[in-house]
Amino acid sequence: MTSSAADRVARFVDDLLRGRRPRRFHATPEETEAMGAAAGLAAGRTGADLPDKAALDRIHRRLSERLDESPRVDARFTRRVWLRTLGTAAAAAVVGVGLDEALTRGGAIGPAAEGQAVLTPDGAQWRPVAAVEQLPEGHALQVSTGSVDAVVFNEGGQIGAVSGVCTHLGCKLQPDEADKRLSCPCHQTAFSWSGKVLYYRLKAAPPDLPRIQSRVRDGQIELLVV
Amino acid sequence: MGVINLRGADDPEPEPVNDPASSIYTDWESVYQDNVVGIYQLVFRRVGNAADAEDLAEDVLIRTLKTLRLPAPVHNVRSYLVKTAKTVLADHWRSHYAAQNVELELEQLPPSGLGNAASTVASERAQRLLGLLPDQFRQVLELRFLRGYSVREVAHEMGVTESNARVLQFRALRKAAQFEREVLA
Repeated sequence: MTSSAADRVARFVDDLLRGRRPRRFHATPEETEAMGAAAGLAAGRTGADLPDKAALDRIHRRLSERLDESPRVDARFTRRVWLRTLGTAAAAAVVGVGLDEALTRGGAIGPAAEGQAVLTPDGAQWRPVAAVEQLPEGHALQVSTGSVDAVVFNEGGQIGAVSGVCTHLGCKLQPDEADKRLSCPCHQTAFSWSGKVLYYRLKAAPPDLPRIQSRVRDGQIELLVV
Repeated sequence: MGVINLRGADDPEPEPVNDPASSIYTDWESVYQDNVVGIYQLVFRRVGNAADAEDLAEDVLIRTLKTLRLPAPVHNVRSYLVKTAKTVLADHWRSHYAAQNVELELEQLPPSGLGNAASTVASERAQRLLGLLPDQFRQVLELRFLRGYSVREVAHEMGVTESNARVLQFRALRKAAQFEREVLA
């Protein structure tokens, strides 16, 4: 009895953690109690309970249809909602400019997006931080050179690096591979892997993360740091 | 050498801004714009997945906007949104999982609309809850929910069978629910 309840709840949790809509079933009161707690914990993962722009678009469109309003304002309003929620940087879509060229020639990744600082310390040297095979596509790694905490990422086969420290108050950012975000554990701020602010709940947007110049040499990812 | 003050500038903790308590909503777009994210998050915390949260948030907004006559005071609309969310969520748990006597305590919507809509409620609550649990229960839930381990990986990490890992997870979740009711309520 307990074992089958545990199995059903485990399937429910699996669905939540894989981002699937859970299957319906006839649950006992003990199971629904456990499932309610699971839903709360799933929502507690940083940024998990933030709607993406596509979801807001769909909700707005259906409201428009069902409330018998003209859908002509969709784009304007959903864009405004999304920007106010997630920060203007998210829509800038400047990520990745120039990355292809830089990587194919094996040099430093860049340039950084407009307004984004590039960390170039005095006396910087190329330092290996990870082997390329440690960073398959769609993954991000926290690395430290002792002086610099960074996150290196592989997005679409292109490797890049940004500071791994939140620009708000210096908390260490946590890479979220599912959503390709860097999440701040302190004040619910999130950045894209390339360092642009995606989301914040502060009165003003924090600066984007500084880019760190990176390159691949002899199977090693190297950063230009001290 | 003098004493170095390691404390930096004052921590600009998030503060509510532009509290619209005394304002009026005149059209559904404004209601949507100010509240859709808050409603989505409120619902997400009770269903734990994006697909259901999207459907239910839409349902809450539709039911509210079809019932309330605008213009209406902002605080009335927001109270009604929360009340409606309670009903919609109870219906969801009843229809999907045959849950009886669903008791939901819902927090109020964040006061300042979308600019500050997202909150740390869910993650802070989850952290506090995990901190209350006995070690083994906390470990299984941290591995699953915070580190994304599969049941198999949890079993391997904790040196138990997969079947035992599932039972452990079930008991840990029930204990978490109990603490949520008795301690965090």
